[in-house]
Amino acid sequence: MTEISTPVRPQSGAVSYILRRSPVAALLVALFLIAALLGPWLAPHSMTDTNLGHALQPPNATYWLGTDALGRDVLSRLLGSAGIAAQAFLIVVLTGGVLGTLFGLVAGGIGGLTDLVLSRVIEILQGFPTVLVAIVIVALLSPSLTNAMIAVGLAAVPDFARVARGVAIQLREREFIQAARGLGMSEMRILASEVLPNMVGPLIIIASFDGAQAIMWEAALSFLGLGVQPPYPSFGSMLREAQNFLAIQPSLAITVGLTVSAIILGLNLLGDGLSDYYDRSDK
Amino acid sequence: MAIYLLVRILGGVVTLFCVSALAFFATALAPGNPAAVLLGNLATPERIAVVTEQMGLDKPLPIRYFIWLREMLQGNLGTSNLSFKPVNDLVLAALPPTLELAALSLALAIVIAIPMGLILAQNRDRWWTRPLSGLVTLGISVPGFWVGLLLIVVFSMTFKLLPSGGYVPMTRSVSGNLRAMILPVLTLAIYLIPSLVRFVRVTAANVLREDYIDTARAKGAGRWRILLQHVAPNTLIPTITYIGLQLGVLISGAIVIEIIFSIPGLGRLGMNAVLNRDYPVIQGVVLLAATGYVVVNLLIDLAYSLIDPRIRTR
Repeated sequence: MTEISTPVRPQSGAVSYILRRSPVAALLVALFLIAALLGPWLAPHSMTDTNLGHALQPPNATYWLGTDALGRDVLSRLLGSAGIAAQAFLIVVLTGGVLGTLFGLVAGGIGGLTDLVLSRVIEILQGFPTVLVAIVIVALLSPSLTNAMIAVGLAAVPDFARVARGVAIQLREREFIQAARGLGMSEMRILASEVLPNMVGPLIIIASFDGAQAIMWEAALSFLGLGVQPPYPSFGSMLREAQNFLAIQPSLAITVGLTVSAIILGLNLLGDGLSDYYDRSDK
Repeated sequence: MAIYLLVRILGGVVTLFCVSALAFFATALAPGNPAAVLLGNLATPERIAVVTEQMGLDKPLPIRYFIWLREMLQGNLGTSNLSFKPVNDLVLAALPPTLELAALSLALAIVIAIPMGLILAQNRDRWWTRPLSGLVTLGISVPGFWVGLLLIVVFSMTFKLLPSGGYVPMTRSVSGNLRAMILPVLTLAIYLIPSLVRFVRVTAANVLREDYIDTARAKGAGRWRILLQHVAPNTLIPTITYIGLQLGVLISGAIVIEIIFSIPGLGRLGMNAVLNRDYPVIQGVVLLAATGYVVVNLLIDLAYSLIDPRIRTR
């Protein structure tokens, strides 16, 4: 979906560019990282211990964001959910990124019949109903975060493959690649050591967009009961539980939804900012 | 042309073949002997052996797959392990709500997103497009099912204007049907609109950079005339392809929304089947959705090659 033009080697200026041009993205992503990495230490209460006497409390001095239907601290569970979201992000970006980059790199770098066949495979994978694949995988194995996220990761393969293929095709005829070819480097070696480093920028952009999608899918699949299983917190399972108490305590669903939306927004804005950065540094 | 057609159809068949294999082997390899499940309390080793043979479960997997595939091709989806009703009947009953939800949401999304994307592309440098673009990014970031929950809180719990779910068949009450559909359709449309706006905006912005737009401008065509006569038609073809590919997203979104609004559609049927390990129903739903996805994308491709001869040669 995002236009990615001629690639350049990633420059160290990216971080300062993001800090300057999209401080909101930087702030949201930083908060997400802190919550995901330090969540278990920052959480003021247990994430899973129930306390029915304190159920469905509004925000107060002890429970800053209130409690859920089983009396668990919402803030602590949100911190735990951020860790799960980060895991979802990693699994999807690794599955989709590694397979997709490999596909795209080989398809675009070698071209010809290989490209034709791989492009078809990518096309078939593209846009295939993620939830359906997840349902089949979960029906075969059992509901768990990893299983659900592998399905989402497979759905992300075409995005990475498309970008990697585009960059590889653009680079194939550039002078420095021809120079490498002239020096007698093998095609595979050229792909690995000359082409691959030049697609890191565009791939990071896709990773931030697809990672954002991954967090959304984790929430959706856990909401359906196909992902993280109770009593462990995740944005999706928290919303699933909040749904039953919409009439009594709507703020529960609102807090959880706002948190997950803020994380996804931060990653999307980061992706936008990075696209601007790489577009600009081309000119 | 004939070769192009053949390649596309072949591609569709290969996709369906892969999906059918996935659906079959995923369920065939899943733990638990269906014969034992079917017999329940009556199960003895002897009876299980008899039923296993009756059900053809003793044959090697590849042979079972082809037997199963033959039944599928004849339109026989089998019998539910749970309700013992034919899967065909279950699926047919669940189809209308899903189709209605998907069709209405897609129509609403198209009517809003295409003009919005075109206008955002045309006025890229105006100040008022910035908040709108921000809204689009925000829209992409908000989980669709959460929007559904918020709509329920506002419209059915606080103001008690609309039902929070359920489904009324068209044949019973048209107004009742539409009233129950408003919130689910709105939710799914809000989920679809932002990415569609983004796509139309990028595509239209590229069209606006073409030489023929400059030519039209030089000949004195007004802004709106350029947008409607030159940009819109050239944006439409890639947009339709994009919508076809988004069908997967539409199906996935519909599943989640059916659960939230308790609509007895395919998504809910499939989800219940997964939770109860009702394999024939899972296979039926997955195959039906995949067939719909492949057929619609094939039709879109074929429609283009009729409209635009350049595509055939590509």
